[in-house]
Amino acid sequence: MRIRSVIVAAVFIGAAQASPALAQPQSATATMTVSVSTSAKLTISSSTLTFADANPDLVPQIAPAQGALSITAKARATDNAQVVLTVQADDDLRSGLQVIPASAITWTASGTGFASGTLSKTAPVTLGQWTGSGSRTGSQTLAFRNLWTYATGTYTCVLLYTLSGP
Amino acid sequence: MSKAVWTAAAALAVFTIAVPAIAQSTATATVNVTVNVSARATLDLHGTNSVTFADADPDTTPSIAAPALTIDVKSRTSAASNVTLTVVSNQDLTSGSDVIGIANLTWTSTGTGFAAGTMNKTTAQTVGSWTGSGTRSGTVTLKLANSWAYNAGAYTATLTYTLTAP
Repeated sequence: MRIRSVIVAAVFIGAAQASPALAQPQSATATMTVSVSTSAKLTISSSTLTFADANPDLVPQIAPAQGALSITAKARATDNAQVVLTVQADDDLRSGLQVIPASAITWTASGTGFASGTLSKTAPVTLGQWTGSGSRTGSQTLAFRNLWTYATGTYTCVLLYTLSGP
Repeated sequence: MSKAVWTAAAALAVFTIAVPAIAQSTATATVNVTVNVSARATLDLHGTNSVTFADADPDTTPSIAAPALTIDVKSRTSAASNVTLTVVSNQDLTSGSDVIGIANLTWTSTGTGFAAGTMNKTTAQTVGSWTGSGTRSGTVTLKLANSWAYNAGAYTATLTYTLTAP
């Protein structure tokens, strides 16, 4: 009997507390903060490009075996800030003592904000430019200017792509 | 601490907090480029595959000149390698059983690296020599020593030009 009374009392108290009609008006505020920092992410479909030998008379511009590079440039920037993608060669194309100027490599590009250009070892060349935050995808088709004057060899260089946002 | 100092400290604090928002964000990627340049050579006689010497009076025309051959030489080789263009005849000038010694055929030339010479049926003779890769163009004018001693006839021989680029 004592136990039943306790249970009934507990149910009554619980029902009283759950009833909106009996609750006192309550108010509270919560301050929500979302932090969005500037950041950049660059993805390129291939880390190597190989240009095969060809007859300069028949193939004056050689396309790489890997085809066009697919490039995704993601950036979070301040409003109206410029986001720039550049590419620069670390050096001319070299095979031992033999040199082919980096400018022998040119490219065409597709995709909004992407631009054609000529490779340089002395200064970064703009490959893409946009305003504000976003994810941009395009393609870059490189070509090697094929000449009879080149000495035989296996020439190499490294292209550095840099995506910058303020 | 005076009010001015506190004000300066507060301003510095605000500035310090604001720095991450305007910091430049950068992403980079590299692409390794390889260009293969192999040895190759092409020889172009501009479609000329026959040379004809018209009959002439040996007294008035002791040397009969054929129209000049234009020769384009293109080669890719290592930087210090020799590129050589030679010519050899398959036989003396022959008309049935009649023969004119092939040494009666000589040539003059124009163009850097091209040389004059005398035709030979056993040993290839140098028409031109160069060093390294490049394109070279010149002319060769074949001349036949005209003599009363030749029997009448239509004499023929085949000349083979060979471009060598190691």
